[in-house]
Amino acid sequence: MIIIAIVVGCLIGALIGINMPMISYTYSGYLAIAIIAALDSVFGGIASTLNKNFDLKIFVSGFFGNAILSILLTYLGQKLNVDIYLAAIVVFVGRMFNNLAIIRRYYIDKWTSRKEEKNTTKNQ
Amino acid sequence: MKKIKFRADITAVTVVVFIVCIVLVSVMLMQFRTVEQTDITEIENMRESELRTALAEWKSKTDDLSKQLEDANEKIDEYNKTITDKKEASNLVDDELKESNILLGKTDVYGEGVVVNLADGEIAIEAYDLIDLVNELRYAGAEAISINDIRILPMTDIVDLGDYTYISINSQRTQGPYVVKAIGNKEQLSSALNMKGSGFIDRITSNKKVASTEMENKIELPKYNQELEIKYMQSVDRK
Repeated sequence: MIIIAIVVGCLIGALIGINMPMISYTYSGYLAIAIIAALDSVFGGIASTLNKNFDLKIFVSGFFGNAILSILLTYLGQKLNVDIYLAAIVVFVGRMFNNLAIIRRYYIDKWTSRKEEKNTTKNQ
Repeated sequence: MKKIKFRADITAVTVVVFIVCIVLVSVMLMQFRTVEQTDITEIENMRESELRTALAEWKSKTDDLSKQLEDANEKIDEYNKTITDKKEASNLVDDELKESNILLGKTDVYGEGVVVNLADGEIAIEAYDLIDLVNELRYAGAEAISINDIRILPMTDIVDLGDYTYISINSQRTQGPYVVKAIGNKEQLSSALNMKGSGFIDRITSNKKVASTEMENKIELPKYNQELEIKYMQSVDRK
């Protein structure tokens, strides 16, 4: 059910993205930060699902809130002549690697435990 | 309990994931297209800071160029000034050259003056008579003199040739009767020549030769008809 939603959603998103008008280069910097924030939220959501503490409200608020907040911070940084978007990128990408590590560990653990189970059943 | 709650949420989760996928993928594709198709060198796509640097660069370039332009204009003005100065100078030189040529005898000239006719009487006319006459005329203020249409210059020679049948003037042979033309104040000239007793005419006629003078309002003298060459002398530069 969720996998179908992901596939269909990605296809529709691709169609919309291709047919959307191009944005100006000045604003593409803000959009890039928003995308990084959203990707961070997505990986965070996957990791929390694996840890069984996934909360829909936190996920939705993190997805849109982080994106908007990072855009606002980047805008503020431009007004203050400080490259705040660098800090945002560092934080988001760092968290993305953390979450990816959690996901990786979870599946490695699962794989090794299944192998051990197989071995024990064979031995028995 | 937990499991039931999780199952109840699954439709909401699906919807949310669906929306999130649409939003994320569309925005990402948009961004990809923007980044791919954007030419950074185009001015509309440049960031504010880049534009600022570019503007500053152009400004300084404009300043430099306007300064150069100013310098060039100043130089042009200077050159124009020197050109006019030189033109004036060359005009002056031209005038001087013309005057010098007239004074020297390199041009045809006309003006009032006297005509002296000399002819052999019982005694032939000699070169000394002509030299005497030329000196007298010069003394009386003659500006240009010719003998038988041969112009007399400062370096002109007047020499008897052979047995006094010819006289060489400017190394050109000539014979009597001699017509001497002189431009100057005609009254001064003729009165100097016609002075009683000691005047040139009286001296010539008393030496048994024939001479007469006429005053004229317009006589024409030809220019010196040979090349003027400088072979030996050089001007001394004194600084």
